[in-house]
Amino acid sequence: MTRERMTEQELDATLAEVGERLAYPRPTRLADAVRARLREPRAGRWWDALRSPRYAFAPILATLALLALVVVLAVPDARAAAIEFLHLRGIDIFRAPAIATPAATAVPRATSAGTLTTLNEARRGADFAVLAPADARLGSPDEVYRGKSPNGTHDVVTLVYTIRAGIPVSREAGVSALVVEFRGRVDEGLFGKVAGAGTRIEDVTVNGGRGFWIEGEPHLFFYRDESGNIWNETLRLAGNTLLWEQDGVTFRLEAQVSRDDALRIAASFR
Amino acid sequence: MDAVKRVRTDSVEGRPTEDAVLVERSKNGDQDAYAELVTRYQAIAARTAYVITGTAADAEDVAQDAFVKAYYALDRFRTGAPFRPWLLRIVANEAINRRKAAGRRPTVGLSIALDRASGDTALSPEASALAHERREVVLMALRRMREEDRLVIAYRYFFDLSELEMADALGVARGTVKSRLSRAIARLRAAMEGDELHDA
Repeated sequence: MTRERMTEQELDATLAEVGERLAYPRPTRLADAVRARLREPRAGRWWDALRSPRYAFAPILATLALLALVVVLAVPDARAAAIEFLHLRGIDIFRAPAIATPAATAVPRATSAGTLTTLNEARRGADFAVLAPADARLGSPDEVYRGKSPNGTHDVVTLVYTIRAGIPVSREAGVSALVVEFRGRVDEGLFGKVAGAGTRIEDVTVNGGRGFWIEGEPHLFFYRDESGNIWNETLRLAGNTLLWEQDGVTFRLEAQVSRDDALRIAASFR
Repeated sequence: MDAVKRVRTDSVEGRPTEDAVLVERSKNGDQDAYAELVTRYQAIAARTAYVITGTAADAEDVAQDAFVKAYYALDRFRTGAPFRPWLLRIVANEAINRRKAAGRRPTVGLSIALDRASGDTALSPEASALAHERREVVLMALRRMREEDRLVIAYRYFFDLSELEMADALGVARGTVKSRLSRAIARLRAAMEGDELHDA
């Protein structure tokens, strides 16, 4: 009897009936399973942290370009590798040791740091209390920049100490010391995901507040601001760095010094 | 500097929170909000996966993987867009990939849960038997069709998606949905006739 071609209506009705009767799975606790999966670290894929919604950031292309740069410099078959990454694949490319390789191409200092100003001007104009180290080895900054966070809501002040006796010029920053200050937040988990195996991260107390000392091989790092954005200016390679928070302001001191020297410099911030 | 603390901003009491709100919260790392989205769409996700894979166990795995992938892809989700078709697209891709990885047998084991010829009590025994046979013929044809064709048929006839949702879920222009569907139906008919010739 089914030899007879079904009419359109008969076929529609039959399809609807089949759809109602299929032996579908009936998941009931999928949410629990998914939640458990989301709690698992995504082993060996630290760059996924960059893509996680927790760390959603706007200028993704700039970020991809920077990471592609890492690839280009680190991987022999660079072109293919970069393409792989840009398609958000490419699993073995970003091994931690590769992070250190492009260190020689120091990121131009004060990129998007804002406009050149003076420390006094910055103190008058910024939306937070700008501090500077009173440490004798650093003296006064050679350059002071005042700019805005990418979302335009927060002031950023950058102090540049180009060459100082006893503090080697960092290959990453291109200067002896760099201080960046802004209202922000340090996310511990984030640093852990971005640093390679040769980078150590240590909890420290700075001027009574919590901080992190990051030492060893250069690491990729970035901050989120109060809106949860990641700043692509800070997503770059960096050398030894002390990060801490003081009165709602985040300070970053980047200098190739020992941890104790960094803490001493931090203690001199006025 | 402590771990991020978030303030829950629940909607007006008693009203289901809108998808868009849950999505935004999920984007900010609120896994409770995401769990709510999973609960809301687990059934259609698993059903969609099943239409492609043809086995319930695979379909559940696919749905789970798809929800995890969707979570990590939320930063690419356009704010304000409907969540369901976006999710289904990820589910369907995941299911098709799994079929490919498994070596893609020509037919799938899609089956009907419980279907007796006498089940249609409103029908005469003859009409009921005829309806049963028609379902069998359609099912056999569906098993042999391309995943993409099965999917478009399922969206329209099984899950009753709107044309707009279908376009989003299939990743095609809205004007393309009708032609996709009619081509799929034409191929379904061809497959049915093939079945019948075979049986004859």
